[in-house]
Amino acid sequence: MSQFTWFTGRGPALLEAQLDRRIGLAAPASLDHRPLGEQRLVVLDLETSGFDMKRDQLLSIGAVVIERGAIDLGQQFECTLQRLDHKVGPSVLIHGLAPSQIAAGSEPAEALLAFMEFVGDSPLLAFHAGFDQRMLARALKQSLGYSLRHRFFDVAELAPLLCPQAKIPRGGLDDWTRYFGLQAQQRHHASADALVTAELALILFSRARRQQLDSLQALEQRLAGWRRRQKVHLI
Amino acid sequence: MSKSDAYTQAGKTAVLQNIHGTVEFLQKYPPFNQMDMAHLAYLVENCQMRFYSAGETIIKPTDGPVEYFYIVKQGHVHGERPHSAKRGTETTFEITSGECFPLAALIGERATRTEHLAAEDTFCLLLNKPAFVKLFSLSNPFRDFALRGVSSLLDQVNQQVQMRAVESLGAQYSLDSRLGELAMRQPISCPPATPLRKAVQLMHEQHVGCIVIVDPALKPLGIFTLRDLRRVIADGSSLDQPIDSLMTLEPFYLPPDASAFEAAIAMTERHIAHICLVEHERLCGVVSERDLFSLQRVDLVHLARTIRHAGTVETLAALRSDIQQLVERMLAHGASSTQITHIITLFNDHTVCRVIELTLEDLGDPGVPFTWLCFGSEGRREQTLHTDQDNGILFEAADSVTAADMRRRLLPLAVEINQRLAQCGFTLCKGNIMAGNPELCLSRHEWTRRFNSFIDEATPENLLKSSIYFDLRVVWGDAHGCDLVRQGLLKQVANNSLFQRMMAENALRQRPPVGRFRDFVVARKGAEKDTLDLKVQGLTPFVDGARLLALAHGVETCNTLERLRELIAKGVIETLDGAAYEEAYHFIQQTRMQQHQLQAKQGRPYSNRIDPDSLNQLDRRILREAFRQAQRLQSSLALRYQL
Repeated sequence: MSQFTWFTGRGPALLEAQLDRRIGLAAPASLDHRPLGEQRLVVLDLETSGFDMKRDQLLSIGAVVIERGAIDLGQQFECTLQRLDHKVGPSVLIHGLAPSQIAAGSEPAEALLAFMEFVGDSPLLAFHAGFDQRMLARALKQSLGYSLRHRFFDVAELAPLLCPQAKIPRGGLDDWTRYFGLQAQQRHHASADALVTAELALILFSRARRQQLDSLQALEQRLAGWRRRQKVHLI
Repeated sequence: MSKSDAYTQAGKTAVLQNIHGTVEFLQKYPPFNQMDMAHLAYLVENCQMRFYSAGETIIKPTDGPVEYFYIVKQGHVHGERPHSAKRGTETTFEITSGECFPLAALIGERATRTEHLAAEDTFCLLLNKPAFVKLFSLSNPFRDFALRGVSSLLDQVNQQVQMRAVESLGAQYSLDSRLGELAMRQPISCPPATPLRKAVQLMHEQHVGCIVIVDPALKPLGIFTLRDLRRVIADGSSLDQPIDSLMTLEPFYLPPDASAFEAAIAMTERHIAHICLVEHERLCGVVSERDLFSLQRVDLVHLARTIRHAGTVETLAALRSDIQQLVERMLAHGASSTQITHIITLFNDHTVCRVIELTLEDLGDPGVPFTWLCFGSEGRREQTLHTDQDNGILFEAADSVTAADMRRRLLPLAVEINQRLAQCGFTLCKGNIMAGNPELCLSRHEWTRRFNSFIDEATPENLLKSSIYFDLRVVWGDAHGCDLVRQGLLKQVANNSLFQRMMAENALRQRPPVGRFRDFVVARKGAEKDTLDLKVQGLTPFVDGARLLALAHGVETCNTLERLRELIAKGVIETLDGAAYEEAYHFIQQTRMQQHQLQAKQGRPYSNRIDPDSLNQLDRRILREAFRQAQRLQSSLALRYQL
């Protein structure tokens, strides 16, 4: 009960059942040496009302799961969040979410709880993951009073690391899908983007295995070294 | 609705929207384009998507029973089997976007026999086995597809052709109609003792052209037609005689399940206008020429009769364009290539017979009984309208001196027949494979000696000759001599494994135009750029393969499809393989004829070359699959003869 009062004081107002669910959320697993083929990963893509990470709102979440080395089409997450104060801005041209869809969306706390339950303790994967990580963290803080501590891997960073021969040093999702000849069903639709990001990830993991980088930890180490080198290059 | 329900609902529609993308992708391909939306969504929800980099194995024989149904989403997969004769492997098939594998192994609950490799970076959708089993029981199109693989695709093409035919005629039309359905009315029959007058009265009252004479168990004993009545009256026979003394005995009959096509063929062959339908030895109907005509408006029988009774070669030559029109009409009405080649062979045979008879009348009987033979595609009954003459004469002679004398008497006649056939549209053979050539006007012993020399001395030239001459058939005259020659020939080939091996090598020369990575292998440059040859590259492998196996296993018939069927019956070819070869051959032939028809319509010269890109996606896919069957036949020959 003490926690409940703590939240009613400073955080969002949650129902008791929602609080229970929040407590029940799994803590993120630490990275280990297990092969990529045995690693569960959640690939996500977010649509937001804009690119201002302090002011803009999370509008929808799309996510697919990579498990046992494959994208499981039976495990997908897609949800539009209800934003009563949402104003139509220029970003509507990108994400294409109509105000009516947003008004009909799920209540944010419910949606985010469901999403975090879907994620479980799995690491997350996204294209330009930094943006998604911060937008998601802020939304979780605001709506649930929850601190996101899950590890994020950035496909935009993994791609040039594992495929330097593509010579796409700072490419967008479109550049990489084109390079690998992938077909996005509907770009800028959160779950379609998540799916194509996941397809990209499968290709990259196959490249990684060939370079003896068959675990998230190994990838993490290589990324750290690569980031240092990139900095040197920039100087 | 509670909030959590609302969420589930929202989640579901959203997920459906995403699943929808994959469903839309699948819907471009059979059998998915025929499946229910709900079944497709179930399929996608039970799939996982996997990536295989170029060269990676997807499934292999040592993996044990197959656990998934694979659909290629993007990329290329090829199958490799260990080469039985040589070391290494051979590519047996190639699978691309929208195609599935491995059906046989999955349904047979066994491991795959072929290693499936990603030929390039490839994504596959993997449907788990329980979901596959469930869909198999729920969805008819999916089950048909899974059970029959390529065959059901071929059926679709046939259905398409028939649908087009129905559209163009605006009514149900088919040469495949069941005769039982055509014979609408009760057959008119009478007992054998009925006086002629009474029988004719009955025919008149019932407005029919014939009456069937039956025993008490309704078994047909004879038939009497209006044409017979004309003869009876002309002869001045009494109208009070019992009908059994005037009827035609043992009338020809077919079962009610036979097709309109079979009836038309029988009428054309036998020059009859009525066919009894008999089931369990009981008369159950009569089909007349008119029943068929009202159905098909294709005047087969009439045309055959006109040819058979043509008074001059000029008339025969003029009838040639009628044949052409008839064939084009039939093709346009969705007749199959087998039906068409059958009809063309019939008309050609009628024309040849009539030319021989007219020439005999004009030049007089040479006083030597002879048999007119044909070879090559004519021998196999696989002619299209545009063929060369390949013929010869066989006669009986006691010794070589008599043979030479008989030849001298027959040759002028043979030369004249060849010339007249040319007049009727049978192009003179450039290689001079014609009865007017003294080397092809031979006694039975000379033919046997000639054929034996081909077999004993298998030079490339002799192999080429055997591929023409060993497809031989009698068109006119006594067939006995030809049968004896054929039996000797079969015995010689069966005992000569070297010759068989050489023929096998020959049969492997024309490689079907499918590549490892690309759809089709087409000519790179020149006037033939981007095209492939349907006859030489597609049909020849089947014709050559079937000939070799038929000769080696004592199969007497020459027609490629019949050879395949008999080889199946003898257990030389597996039933499923044989059926697949048959369908593949049939499809390539059909494509070739449709191509000819199109060329005729556009006023272009006939060509067997086709640009596969000009076909629709389904046809293209099946054509490729048909070529693969040719490849399979060839690799089975290579295995059999250790090449």
